[in-house]
Amino acid sequence: MSGGARLENANPLIFQRTGERLLTASEEDEDVADPIDDREIFDILLTPNYSYDPEHPLSLEELNVVEQVRVKVNDEESTVSVEFTPTIPHCSMATLIGLSVKVKLLRSLPARFKIDVHITPGTHVSEDAVNKQLADKERVAAALENSQLLEVVNQCLSTRPA
Amino acid sequence: MAADSIRLLDLVGDFVTGQVDSKATDVANGVKSGQFSILQLVEALGLSLTSSESQTRGRGVQLLSQVLEECYTSLSEREVEVLVAFYENRLKDHYAITPHVLHGLKALAKCTVLPKGSAVSILKSLFQDVHVQSHGLANEFDCIPNHAELKGLGPDFVFGFVQAVDGERDPRNLLLAFQIARNIIHRGYNLSQFTEELFEVTSCYFPIDFTPVCRILTSFPSFLLPLIIEKLDSDMQNAKVDSLQTLAACASVYGHKELSDFLPSLWSSIRREVFQTASESVESAGLSALRALTSCLCRSVLTSNSEDSLHVFLDLVLKDCQHHLCEPDLKLVWPSAKLLQAASGASYRASLIVTAVVLPTLLEQYSSRTQVLQGDTAVPTYTHMLVFNWVNWPALPMPCAGVLAQPDVEMAVDHLSRLVLEEHDAKVSLAVAECAGSLSRLHPAPFASRMIPKLKQEIFSGSSKPNVSYPTVREDDFDLLPGQSRDAGRQRCIMALASVSTQPSLVRESAPVLLQMLAAAHTGMSCWSVDIPEFDRLLGQLEELSCTSTHPFSYTSAAKCFAGLINKRAAGCCFSISVFSLMSDCLLASQAADCFELLMSDSPDVLNRSCHADVRIMYRQRFFAENSGKIVQGFNCAEQGKKSVYLKALSHIVNNLPRQVQLTELPSLLPVLLEALSCPDQVVQLSTLCCLQPALLDPPPALSTQLEALFSRLLPLTASPSMKVRIASLRCVHALSQLPEHMVLPFRAQVLRALASPLDDKKRLVRKEAVLARGEWFLIGSPGGR
Repeated sequence: MSGGARLENANPLIFQRTGERLLTASEEDEDVADPIDDREIFDILLTPNYSYDPEHPLSLEELNVVEQVRVKVNDEESTVSVEFTPTIPHCSMATLIGLSVKVKLLRSLPARFKIDVHITPGTHVSEDAVNKQLADKERVAAALENSQLLEVVNQCLSTRPA
Repeated sequence: MAADSIRLLDLVGDFVTGQVDSKATDVANGVKSGQFSILQLVEALGLSLTSSESQTRGRGVQLLSQVLEECYTSLSEREVEVLVAFYENRLKDHYAITPHVLHGLKALAKCTVLPKGSAVSILKSLFQDVHVQSHGLANEFDCIPNHAELKGLGPDFVFGFVQAVDGERDPRNLLLAFQIARNIIHRGYNLSQFTEELFEVTSCYFPIDFTPVCRILTSFPSFLLPLIIEKLDSDMQNAKVDSLQTLAACASVYGHKELSDFLPSLWSSIRREVFQTASESVESAGLSALRALTSCLCRSVLTSNSEDSLHVFLDLVLKDCQHHLCEPDLKLVWPSAKLLQAASGASYRASLIVTAVVLPTLLEQYSSRTQVLQGDTAVPTYTHMLVFNWVNWPALPMPCAGVLAQPDVEMAVDHLSRLVLEEHDAKVSLAVAECAGSLSRLHPAPFASRMIPKLKQEIFSGSSKPNVSYPTVREDDFDLLPGQSRDAGRQRCIMALASVSTQPSLVRESAPVLLQMLAAAHTGMSCWSVDIPEFDRLLGQLEELSCTSTHPFSYTSAAKCFAGLINKRAAGCCFSISVFSLMSDCLLASQAADCFELLMSDSPDVLNRSCHADVRIMYRQRFFAENSGKIVQGFNCAEQGKKSVYLKALSHIVNNLPRQVQLTELPSLLPVLLEALSCPDQVVQLSTLCCLQPALLDPPPALSTQLEALFSRLLPLTASPSMKVRIASLRCVHALSQLPEHMVLPFRAQVLRALASPLDDKKRLVRKEAVLARGEWFLIGSPGGR
């Protein structure tokens, strides 16, 4: 998958997948507040939920989204922005991927956050349309009421147990 | 009338020849109701009583006696008189009949109308004609109430009694005989010339039957004391011990008047016994006797012109003992010291007298010695006496209390250390250890800085030091093999270490040594037997230290030492019992609960196989099985504020159990654990959560009924002030998401709501768990989810 052709664009930031985030002393200190940072958001996306369904092939991990994600978060302003680059420009999975990312963040972040998920500019033929969908709260909510869609999204957010 | 007589004859016949026992009751009833008179009965019995068959005669007498027993109250004086005469006569009859005769006599003796002189004549006949040993004279005596008459019998009675008792073997009779004798004495019978006989006859049973004899004998001081002295001379140890014990008993009863004549001889006998020190029991009996004697003398009341018997006696004692203390001959120092201590321990006054004389002597010796000789016991003796008296009589003015100045204390400690290392004599080393113990209470610092390091060095050294510094070698040195003497030396060091551990500051030093020793045991020193003397006291000290010390290292190491020692001991259960008792003490409870953690977890330095701790198979399970019930019970009974320690202990234990056991045990513990979640103590909460979580991954069926309770307690904990608690509770919530859908679906909405705020927790680690948990809960009941 990763051998496919890519459109030219700014190299997305690739967070090192290997190696867990190192624990710092301040993180264990009860009295020190840890602000939400980019890496944390990235890890949220990487951390799948467990599922007992061995058949589905659609985890974010397997979609290789993890290498394509660029994250920016501002804790004080309660904003988070995630930009992802689909591996294939015509990828019909783009909406799905975007939706999955959005749902994951919706479920994982405090309600105060404004979540912006969009395709890295110039990497997809329908990026505007997709971005518009992803930005529309009501469209997202409606999509999630679609049980089939929800199913797929849920599957994306899960993985086989280790 | 005629019918009655025929009936009576029939009854008699039935009883005597027909052997029908119940007829006697009928006859008795007849007499009582007036149907027949006694005279008629006697007439009816005529044939039987004169029969040539002894058995028939016996039956006849038996019937008569039984009737008399029932009817004696209604007899007239004349009747009694005649019957008494008859019965006395019957005493001369066949021995088989005698029991019945006695029975009848007993009944007659109870008659209030018994004529004067009858009691006397009965007794006379009894003494004369009956082989009392086999029949129990005492029974008869006891029921004869007319003591005035018997006293009148005077010496004859005593003589008769003495004759009766002489040679008696039946212990029951003996006991009764002793009782009678006591009564005789107490009721003031005139014993006159038979006093000695009475004494002899009872004393020959001494020491076989000690207590009752003793009671009698104390009434005969003039006979008893010589007897005691005589028995003390005997070769038999038992006789010696018994006489000394009797002496001690007497001394508590007598006054100084009784004793004064005998004091010199008693003292010389006691002294001889203690000096010879043939056996410990004799020695200790002797010392107690001395103490008792002194005590008795102390109680005596002084008049202006009588001499002070206490002083006189103590002068005697001091004269004989004091000079031994100064002699280089070691053998008699300790016995003398013990005697002096026994005497001075009797009372304040005695102590004053003794120490006033002894201590200056010792002090002089202590100050004047110019060289340290082997076996120099001046310092220990001195300190031992000083301390002994100090401990017993704290108000006693010490003639030279301040003499042990700091440099002298240090010298004393050095001496003591040397003695521990080199003195082979078991008694001396025991005394040294005791002395060290007492002194260490008063001056802990030199012990900590001087003795303990030396002891430590000796314990861990590989070689024993040969006794080259002193010219004389004691002959018993040759008996010890090199390995033995090394072990013996080590043993003494350990004993000394244990005995000086009297104060927290000292235990702080000694505990690590012991700990090290335990760790080193079995590694290279295969001949170690970790048999620590004064074990219980050491344990007590360690326990105290571990619980009261504020210095964390000391109490931890003390606790570990404690645990290690306990483990070595076969009966490990006593530890949990003592820990349980600690749990009820609120100050110590928390640490007691932590003890369980220590026990159950794999502490690297103590309770570990590598330390050759005795790790029994499945000890954790067993520990749990043995103790969980008690803990739960303790928890249920404890008041609110104290419940947490039990929970802590329980969670420590359960947390360290193997997984499989946890799962099997969890259902029964679930209610307690749930309650634990509501406990305000964060440590308890955390412990419980850690305990719960693995169980929730494979939940028991019992859980299904408890879910509501569980959630209601779990969810608030996600907002706990403690980060760890928040994390642990979130993990539990996460684990619960894996339960069957039908069980958890009802709670989904509630959980999702509750988990919203932990997403914004100030700590990242908490947020991480919240994300995981909430994400899983979203999937429950959702398409594409599980």
